[in-house]
Amino acid sequence: MTTADIFLQQVINGLSLGAMYALLALGFTLVYGILELINFAHFNVFMVSSFIGMWALQLFGLSGQSVVLSGFALIGVLVFAFVVTMLSAGVLGVVIERFALRPLRGISGTAAMITTIGVSYILFNIILLTVGASSMNFPNPLPNITWPIAGAVLRLREVLIWIIALVLMTGLHLFVNRTRLGKAMRATAQDADAARMMGIDVDRVIITAFFLGSALAGAAALIFGLYYNLTSFIIGYSAGLRAFTAAVLGGIGSVTGAMVGGILIGLIEAIGGQIFEVRWTDVIIFSILVLVLVFAPNGLFGRAAATRS
Amino acid sequence: MSSRDPAAPRRGTIGGDTFAFLLRASPVQWIAPHLRPRVMVAIVTVAAVLFPIVIRNDADTDAAANALSYAALALGLNIVVGMAGLLDLGYAAFFAIGAYAYGIAASWQFTPPWSGFWEPFQYLHLVARFHDTGGDVVHFQVSFWLMLPISAALAAFFGVLFGAPTLRLKGDYLAIVTLGFGEIVPIVARNTPTLTNGAMGLNGVAAPQLFGWSFGINAMPYYYVGLALVALLILTSLRLKSSRIGRAWMAIREDEIAAAAMGVNRVKFKLLAFATGAAFAGATGTLFVAKLQTATPEMFMFPVSVMILVMIVFGGIGSIWGVVLGALILQILQSWFLEDLSQWLHALGKLIHVEWLQHVELSSSIELIFGIILVTMMLYRRQGLIPATRRVQALSLSEQTAQVELSATPAAKRLAGFGDISYRGPDPLLEIKDLTVRFGGLVALRSVELSVPANSVVAVIGPNGSGKSTLFNAVTGLVSPDEGSVRFAGESILRLPPHVVLDRGMARTFQNIRLFPNLTVLENVMVGRHARLHSGMVGALARLPGMVHEEAAAREHCLEILALFGNRLLPRVDHLVSSLSYANRRRVEIARALASNPKLLLLDEPTAGMNPAETLELAGQIKSLHQHGLSIVLIEHKLDVVVSLADNVVVLDHGEKIAEGTPDVVRRDEEVIRAYLGRSASLGSTAVA
Repeated sequence: MTTADIFLQQVINGLSLGAMYALLALGFTLVYGILELINFAHFNVFMVSSFIGMWALQLFGLSGQSVVLSGFALIGVLVFAFVVTMLSAGVLGVVIERFALRPLRGISGTAAMITTIGVSYILFNIILLTVGASSMNFPNPLPNITWPIAGAVLRLREVLIWIIALVLMTGLHLFVNRTRLGKAMRATAQDADAARMMGIDVDRVIITAFFLGSALAGAAALIFGLYYNLTSFIIGYSAGLRAFTAAVLGGIGSVTGAMVGGILIGLIEAIGGQIFEVRWTDVIIFSILVLVLVFAPNGLFGRAAATRS
Repeated sequence: MSSRDPAAPRRGTIGGDTFAFLLRASPVQWIAPHLRPRVMVAIVTVAAVLFPIVIRNDADTDAAANALSYAALALGLNIVVGMAGLLDLGYAAFFAIGAYAYGIAASWQFTPPWSGFWEPFQYLHLVARFHDTGGDVVHFQVSFWLMLPISAALAAFFGVLFGAPTLRLKGDYLAIVTLGFGEIVPIVARNTPTLTNGAMGLNGVAAPQLFGWSFGINAMPYYYVGLALVALLILTSLRLKSSRIGRAWMAIREDEIAAAAMGVNRVKFKLLAFATGAAFAGATGTLFVAKLQTATPEMFMFPVSVMILVMIVFGGIGSIWGVVLGALILQILQSWFLEDLSQWLHALGKLIHVEWLQHVELSSSIELIFGIILVTMMLYRRQGLIPATRRVQALSLSEQTAQVELSATPAAKRLAGFGDISYRGPDPLLEIKDLTVRFGGLVALRSVELSVPANSVVAVIGPNGSGKSTLFNAVTGLVSPDEGSVRFAGESILRLPPHVVLDRGMARTFQNIRLFPNLTVLENVMVGRHARLHSGMVGALARLPGMVHEEAAAREHCLEILALFGNRLLPRVDHLVSSLSYANRRRVEIARALASNPKLLLLDEPTAGMNPAETLELAGQIKSLHQHGLSIVLIEHKLDVVVSLADNVVVLDHGEKIAEGTPDVVRRDEEVIRAYLGRSASLGSTAVA
């Protein structure tokens, strides 16, 4: 492979990673836009969802790369797995909001954020204690179909990931911009008190944000499993930090920003990992987070949200 | 003040009576109340010193030494999270920096070839020349005692380095950046094996020596060093908390904007908190590694940061004794209790023939327990085991309903001791020219001109949304004006940060009252004195005579200011301001502004929410301040107050000045009537109010 081919291959990989990070970043940005809260539980809602996705696929007798499906069987299984994972993740997000965060609403300071750390830690340890510390083999029912593009290889896996991410993000975009509840969400994000006075049920808006954000994390988790063919109790931490960086890079609170930021972070990870060594990837991502916060705290698409006064 | 005897039996719940009875019966009663805290400290100290001698078990002493290390870490994190309110999720990184600093400086890990460069260090006994087959190499052998402060300073340096980028941002971002930082440091340690031996970890770190005697692997000496460190850090925390620095931290925690407006340099004090907390961790890291004689990246990962956070949440965020207790309890839970409990469960399982009970290992679920503690404490007991804010006895009924007595000596006479608050320069005290402020497309202020001559009261009136508060914000540095000039006492103060504006002699109150809710009345007012005090870190820690005197004088001064309001605030000086009535909060806010010895006081609707009698009372007090020479700019809606106080009135509408003149002139101005009451009203009526 020539340098250009390697570069092209990393762009393909980066777009897949980016699609995943974008979906995960949307959860941060939806909740932050409305509650101004960094939801650390989101890290491990993602991680738990990947296990839910794995179990959903295992229901069909799928394990590892042993069974490969095609045609309608493949589409049916994938639709089922995505629906189950996204619904379960969404419900998990709503439960967290209802029982751990709603009692703290209106309390200033770090209490709510500390609670999300606690919830995250509980999820993390439940999986560690029940499933164990070793990483699990994620079922991969996708047939190994590839298309050569110049010197690089495009796999069916990548195309599927892009299509799924595109469908979900378009759906979210339409929901936020075209529906009544979406309009209520945008209004609440602008000014929760004013929205409440206009008769908007803010509780419902917040629950919706948690449900949608967590459901998208569920989709991202399934994509993670299909992409890496594994899952483990520790995947939430680094994926979450990347997705959060993506949300900040795009401008936290901005739906478009999270999508664009996610793609950019995915590309940076893939190409940066090629240029430097992979073990430094976390350092690169973290440096980007700090640089963005220092020099452009509103990100690419953000309203003046990050700086105080 | 009160005729109530605190020890008298309380009628009420049975529990209360029983508790009071037990208290009376206990030996605690033999000790005079003001001595009780000291006796407690003495008992705890003696118990801690005797512990290893009585226990005579190296494993238990070892666990206790570790627990002390974590108590030291909890004290450090408490400075950052508890006092300054900055959530740091990567605190273990500073622990790691201190640990690796000593680990590298006292082991065989890093052995550069010998050269003349090292000779002075050899002379100082920091390095030794070691004869190796491939040529002579340098062996680092820096003393543990020297490395304690060096590690602290190094960690503090990194604290500043990583705190600085986020300090202009909302607090939440600090959490995520420190989380990232906490992850990066172990990664860097793993990826730089020449210095750290990578994932394998440093080995053979030298044990500390004292007068030629090596600590070795016996836990007892480490226990005593840990105990001394914790004692030192408790003392440091206590002294800082009751100093100018601690008050500034707590003010930032409670309300950053108000803290800045009261003269606290936010960036400086946040960095100071970050550096102090990091320094605690750096020193503790050195002790920890000296004890273990090894350091691996796994010892400093995210779970350690979470554990320290759980300790301070459990003990009580901001509470010095609380976080020590929290750290010790959780360590004991981890080291001893969970093991025992697991054994008991196994026995129980055998007894009742339940298979899974016989295999329960609770100690492996310690992190799950930490998570549950974190959430439970946040939901049900946010103040922790020992709350940081002490409760004071509520005022008795007679005190609450006492007649308002405004002090016998008139306020102006009391003010005589305050020093110079009048301005006698040639220029107007405040001169605003052509001031324009835009928020996006909205023009909040358009080319506003305003002049406040020395020793005058200027009222700014106008309908809601006319830009009055924006004017105050632009003048005091909270909002950056787009155009125009602001001169104070002849010098430009345009775009100066709020704390500098206050230092120049301009103090303000806020329309929606921005006090520090979890500080007492006196503490709030003392924060207002911040800019006039000068004690730093050294003064606070060493209790230098200058600092002690300055604090006492400041306290006196603030009490004098509170006395301006007669018996409104004086009986409540130790109450949290969050427990005060609305009118009293307004008074505290004015007192807080006055504590900075301003030459110009900006009052934003001082009588809002007060009844007519209270309004009259406050107007009288403002008047006496003015008579003493203080200049005042007043935003006010109540026109009788304006008329009785103001020399000059400026009227704003839609961000523009529409009228100016004496109160009598302004109230007859057609334009003003129209702005307030609309066009039709101005035709039928000739006067407002």
